[in-house]
Amino acid sequence: MNKIIQNNRLVPNIFHLVVESPEIAAAARPGQFVIVIPDERGERIPINIADWDSRKGTIDLVFMVLGVSTRKLASLKPGDFLEAVAGPLGKPAEVARAEEVLLVGGCYGLAGLYPLARALKGNGCRVIFLSEARGQTFLYWEDKIRSVADEFLTILKEDCFRSGEELEKLIIGLKSERPHLARAVVMGCSHLLFMITEITRKIGLKTRVNLNPIMVDGTGMCGACRVTVNGKTYFACVDGPEFDGHGVDWKEYFERRQAFLSQEEMALLNLGRKIEEAE
Amino acid sequence: MKKDELIEPGLKERLSSEREKGWRKALRQSISVQKRLSLPRQPMPAQPPAQRIKNFSEVNLGYTLKMAQEEARRCLDCGYPACVAGCPVAIDIPSFIKYIEAGELEKALNKIRETNGLPAICGRVCPQEIQCERNCNLVKTGREPVAIGHLERFVADYFNQPQLSLSTEKSVESSGNEVKKKVAVIGSGPSGLTVAADLARLGYSVTVFEALHLPGGVLAYGIPEFRLPRSILQAEINFIKSLGVEIRTNFIVGKTATLSDLKAAGFSAFFLGTGAGLPSFMNIPGENLLGVCSANEYLTRVNLMKAYLFPEFDTPFPAGRKVAVIGGGNVAMDAVRTALRLGAKEAIIYYRRSRAEMPARVEEIKHAEEEGIVFNFLTVPVRFLGDGKGKLKGMILQKLALGEPDSSGRPRPIPIPGSEFEVEVDLVVMAIGQSPNPLLIKEIEGLKLGRRGNVEVDLDTLACSLPGIYAGGDVVRGGATVILAMGDGRKAAKEIDKFLKSC
Repeated sequence: MNKIIQNNRLVPNIFHLVVESPEIAAAARPGQFVIVIPDERGERIPINIADWDSRKGTIDLVFMVLGVSTRKLASLKPGDFLEAVAGPLGKPAEVARAEEVLLVGGCYGLAGLYPLARALKGNGCRVIFLSEARGQTFLYWEDKIRSVADEFLTILKEDCFRSGEELEKLIIGLKSERPHLARAVVMGCSHLLFMITEITRKIGLKTRVNLNPIMVDGTGMCGACRVTVNGKTYFACVDGPEFDGHGVDWKEYFERRQAFLSQEEMALLNLGRKIEEAE
Repeated sequence: MKKDELIEPGLKERLSSEREKGWRKALRQSISVQKRLSLPRQPMPAQPPAQRIKNFSEVNLGYTLKMAQEEARRCLDCGYPACVAGCPVAIDIPSFIKYIEAGELEKALNKIRETNGLPAICGRVCPQEIQCERNCNLVKTGREPVAIGHLERFVADYFNQPQLSLSTEKSVESSGNEVKKKVAVIGSGPSGLTVAADLARLGYSVTVFEALHLPGGVLAYGIPEFRLPRSILQAEINFIKSLGVEIRTNFIVGKTATLSDLKAAGFSAFFLGTGAGLPSFMNIPGENLLGVCSANEYLTRVNLMKAYLFPEFDTPFPAGRKVAVIGGGNVAMDAVRTALRLGAKEAIIYYRRSRAEMPARVEEIKHAEEEGIVFNFLTVPVRFLGDGKGKLKGMILQKLALGEPDSSGRPRPIPIPGSEFEVEVDLVVMAIGQSPNPLLIKEIEGLKLGRRGNVEVDLDTLACSLPGIYAGGDVVRGGATVILAMGDGRKAAKEIDKFLKSC
């Protein structure tokens, strides 16, 4: 249990971890996540399940290195063990039938949306996969995603994504060329979720967003992950993590994600000092 | 049912046959009743308040052997031990106390363990003042009750010291080649651990499934170290494992596997002890500001994740100079005293009823007062105020008056119009109660739930609406106590045994 089979760097700041976890591999559904504790002093962090192999009993986790926990995860080697992996958590994403669906993924969300793309495709949907990245070097899993998508598009911040206006033009163009486009699902950094949601609101395209607020237990016990959607408070871990993007109180969402900014900084400095001492 | 009557079948006879044993008679007669009545209650040694608010070590230090025996002498070994009737698991209290008096500590512990698998925990967290000690006959003579809780704790701790080991009673092997029936216990809190221990002793193969990464449920995530050191919890859990119980952590029944999956894997009976893990909020404006959190979040960060050792441990805690805790129960006391230990300059309780209605244990209130916690009664927040950047900076409070009793029997708090006032505060912890966590129970098709989201059971057997499924503790009761959950666990174990023998 929890043995690391593989831990690859996909792009400079994103890793692909394969972990032995037969029960989760058997139960996982698109849109769900696991809670991972990197080591015995670690915190509980949510990571989307990017793929699974129920025959081999493994799950695939793709994460972006950001704070102490993801740095610790990135340093683990095959043969090491994670302190804990629990899941699959959250409500599975809605898998529509015979619809045209736009999936927009950025950073970890490229991989995070892969299982949904596969399931939609399997359900007879037409899948348009839009990958967002800072530049060509930050794109990954292109072949894998192409294999389950009808169209594969990229938007790179380095050329066409410098201003919100350009992104807006792109999405509006996409929609006008595809009159049957029924909805969009977005996963990735908060900024991407927010921007896409604001654009699709203007053109009336139903949009689901996969939120990633701060969590502790991930089972509905603490309420750290409270989000307001259409005026009502939800716990993202059990009521989500996917919500109606047009109903999300984004100001509150952004603010709540910053809750521990100064502590995160302190923890990173502390980890940096420890690494230096070890060297 | 009157709380001081021994109604359990056979209990009265069992107690009296123990009491009539020769050594008991001799011990009883060795000191006169008059002399026993003259002995004062032994105070519990504790860390001084000024010292303990700077650490997370346990407040109470425990009796010495001498103190415990001195206290044990105060027990009159009554012919009608009403104390036992006040105990939800009916511990033979006079017997274990008399064994202490006689210096037979191992026998004392085994006597407790006949009906209670977690004595070191109960000795610390039970509300003795409304249970066993309330019924103590010394109270009727105007004296302080025998310190039954302190004595229970003493015996359990005595054998938890590393240099001493106790020959523990192993699980009873079932006779012949019969394959042991498998029972799944969901949740490793007080009710689950009790069911597991009792069924293992009866020879069943028991697996406990725990969603979190450490066992103990509320004992691990809720109750702070300064009330229940984790080494004590670990020792009690090790004892239960020694009976042959398997504990699987990081296993969320309903998600990692469903109840039907477990049935298919060969489990023949189930106990739902998933607790009351869903925190309540007040649904008032500003509640999602940074700086307002549930007591569950606050305590889980500190107790389960060891945030008080941040940054040596990675989980941070929300810091505050002026911390307000809303509520008057044990969880509120735990949260407010935790805030003080995490460096709050002011740590304040706001409770909507008056002091007399506070549901917290008397000892917790006393300890909180000694530590300088400020109590505000008949006050409730109506709105939280932000700084414009999403951070809490204050709140509007309203005064209340007590009216007629409500459905809980306590006077209903009634808002006083125009009594609103504003205070500055930078952290608010909501400790206004929890309800059953719906994660599993809503996934079980056909399981009957009550109005408050609790699992409905037959109160005599704790059987749910589906055959072979039993439930107890907070998932049935809402937020109650450790010992009531354990009482449910004992009852459920007996019923599950009956059920499995009949099928």
